[in-house]
Amino acid sequence: MIAIIGAGPAGLSAAAAATRRGEEVIIIDSSSQLGGQYWRHLPSARNDSHSLHYDFSKAQKLFDELLSQPLLTRYSNSQVWQAEKCGDQFHLYILRNGVEEKVVADKVILATGAYDRTIPFPGWTFPGVMTPGAAQAMLKGHGVLVGKKVVIAGTGPFILPVATGLAESGAEIVGLFEFNNPFRWIFNLHGLLLNPSRIAEAFYYLKKLQKHRVKIEFGKKVESATRSSAVVDGTEIECDVIAVGWGFAPDVTLAGILGAQLGVDSDGTVIVKVDRRQETNILGLFAAGEATGIGGSTLSMIEGRIAGGGRGGLSRWRAQVFANGLKKVYPVPSILTKNLPEETIICRCEEVTRGQICTSIDELGAQSARTAKLFTRAGMGLCQGRVCGRNVSEIVADHLVQKVSDSERIAGGQRPLAAPISLGELGDGLAKKF
Amino acid sequence: MKSPDAIVIGAGIAGASCALALTNAGLTVLVLDRGPVAGGTTGAGEGNILVSDKDPGPELTLALRSRDLWFDMQSDVGDHFELEAKGGIVVARHDEKPLKDFAAKQRAAGVDVQEVGDRELHELEPFLTPEITSGVFYPQDSQCQPMLAAAHVLRAVRLRGGQVITGATVKAIDTSGGRVQGVQSDKGNFSSPIIINATGTWAGDIATMAGSHLPIAPRKGFILVTAPAPKLIHHKVYDSDYVANVASSDADLQTSTVVEGTRAGTILIGASRERIGFDGRMNVDILRRLAAQATSLFPILRDIQLLRAYRGFRPYAPDHLPVIGEDSLIQGLWHSAGHEGAGIGLAPGSAHLITAQIIGKTPFMDPAPFSPKRFQAGAA
Repeated sequence: MIAIIGAGPAGLSAAAAATRRGEEVIIIDSSSQLGGQYWRHLPSARNDSHSLHYDFSKAQKLFDELLSQPLLTRYSNSQVWQAEKCGDQFHLYILRNGVEEKVVADKVILATGAYDRTIPFPGWTFPGVMTPGAAQAMLKGHGVLVGKKVVIAGTGPFILPVATGLAESGAEIVGLFEFNNPFRWIFNLHGLLLNPSRIAEAFYYLKKLQKHRVKIEFGKKVESATRSSAVVDGTEIECDVIAVGWGFAPDVTLAGILGAQLGVDSDGTVIVKVDRRQETNILGLFAAGEATGIGGSTLSMIEGRIAGGGRGGLSRWRAQVFANGLKKVYPVPSILTKNLPEETIICRCEEVTRGQICTSIDELGAQSARTAKLFTRAGMGLCQGRVCGRNVSEIVADHLVQKVSDSERIAGGQRPLAAPISLGELGDGLAKKF
Repeated sequence: MKSPDAIVIGAGIAGASCALALTNAGLTVLVLDRGPVAGGTTGAGEGNILVSDKDPGPELTLALRSRDLWFDMQSDVGDHFELEAKGGIVVARHDEKPLKDFAAKQRAAGVDVQEVGDRELHELEPFLTPEITSGVFYPQDSQCQPMLAAAHVLRAVRLRGGQVITGATVKAIDTSGGRVQGVQSDKGNFSSPIIINATGTWAGDIATMAGSHLPIAPRKGFILVTAPAPKLIHHKVYDSDYVANVASSDADLQTSTVVEGTRAGTILIGASRERIGFDGRMNVDILRRLAAQATSLFPILRDIQLLRAYRGFRPYAPDHLPVIGEDSLIQGLWHSAGHEGAGIGLAPGSAHLITAQIIGKTPFMDPAPFSPKRFQAGAA
């Protein structure tokens, strides 16, 4: 039996490939619906989702195939909180609707995706400041518009569909700011030329945005926020929501727990290392999609297919060239975490400021992000450093006039638990004799 | 500073306490650590300063004095490390007689021990299971944030003329003529007639490097950390199996619970002990046992989410007594090591024992039971 963790583009493609080959598959996902973050949709009105997704027909086809696939078992509303490899088998401990179950699998495919990368700025903790992913999830998953007047900023192609979705749903986009210049694609033209469908997708969004009279401005970012405005390039823009995203960070927690080798990608994110067959250094443990490096849904689907035992061929190479281009065109400059005012909160769970982090270095002898965390509690709160970990590392390294080492980045991606579990449920596992 | 009066190897709480005591006694001190401040065993500790878990004997005498020295250290360097006389409560689930007998012996040895009945116990800990109806209260049991403590103590050492070099790995210890001459590190060579080995779990390696030996081995312990919660637990609450475990030589895994709240709102659940070398992997079964024991003490914790778990390596000697004193093979080499789970609590007491002997004052207790000589007699 193959266990696939995550039901987004990579996970679903892996499930389809594996079941077509006659394998029994269990797919585990935290949502009640198939599709993951990327193809998030309203449960009842799947057809309405077309307007919110550029390529939803691809998703629709996969959903239809998999929902009628007798070899597939679905664990929805389920989170793997812990995993072990025992002999040749994997033991996955799963919270399914809050109750713990154990699943034993011969092969595991991690398709755990990524989450938004956040970089602090003065005012980023005000209500109304969020990531584009959160605004998108509210809209696609719950049909809720996050605000009436929205500023969208950051970098990467993802801000285009978010702006389009919000505009189409009735929000006024009062500012759309891409920090990087798209002319950088000129130096990565092959990435575009090999993937003409991506150009078509971009024009699709731009056309829709034009219809709503939304203009993209390049080279600008949200410098600070108040409760009712964003400051961009010295100008105050009145708004009720500011969605800022700086690309994505792969979710590698389970890979780390299972002892898989992690690496650092060219964009500085921590990724799961895999071979051409998407297998990690742990026999039988595979990874596909964003967890192996941010590359978009097309590459994720191809990687998923390969992990599920299918073929990739040239399409994988083309999509990989595009993914490499993305990282070059939309870099997140390290200047963003430099020069932040001392009082800027960096870890919002524990309310730790940049000044406190620097003091722990100057006064207490912290020499790494790890000790700075021990002294200040930065990264020790509810999110366990998923939001702030990388920023803390950058700030510590910057203050020490160093570069963040790969080993520190990888250590920052290691977490002992993949999801929280209640102490009651955890202890009850003893009686269940797992 | 090429030739300090003393070199302390290890920037954890043991080394920091020694550095401060020596500095305050007028010596110039250099502290070296291959990692950052509090990067080893101290950084994985709960910050326990306990008298409740110790049998009458030299370790309890040291613990009682050391506990008071913690508060002296706070007056000395400032209230920066969350030191708090939180108090400990030991409860018995089944047979209370061993617990009461143990308490009586401790009282005779000078520990402040208060037996508490049903009503009083549940006034102290309102969410404790009603199934437990009596316990023993130890008001002296205390708590600190050990990383901050080590950092602020070392900061005081620096401000008083000492030097702290982190990221400096000691490569060799020069012991020509059977006595300490200095160290070679990757950040320079330093000469000194006194070297203090305060390297916790790695103290055996430093002893070997100096041409001596010390049987210090790691013991692994997990600590569970929950999501922040309202104040549900007011003291350190142990079940009495814990007291039995500390003195155990049984190498199998034993678990027994210590549950406590922290200032940050998280609840810590600890005390699993397992002697399996340096294997640091998570063991789901241990997490389950700790959670089951904690929730049986405090049923209200059932709905609290576990956020993370971390492991510490507690260095211990075969007879479970710390090793504090001058090496019997290499003159000028002093050890403060092998404190097991009590390293935070015993650190300032150990530092004072060593400092008194170095400057030729009478220590507050007979240091002989802790002497490294007990493991080095055959070779000497």
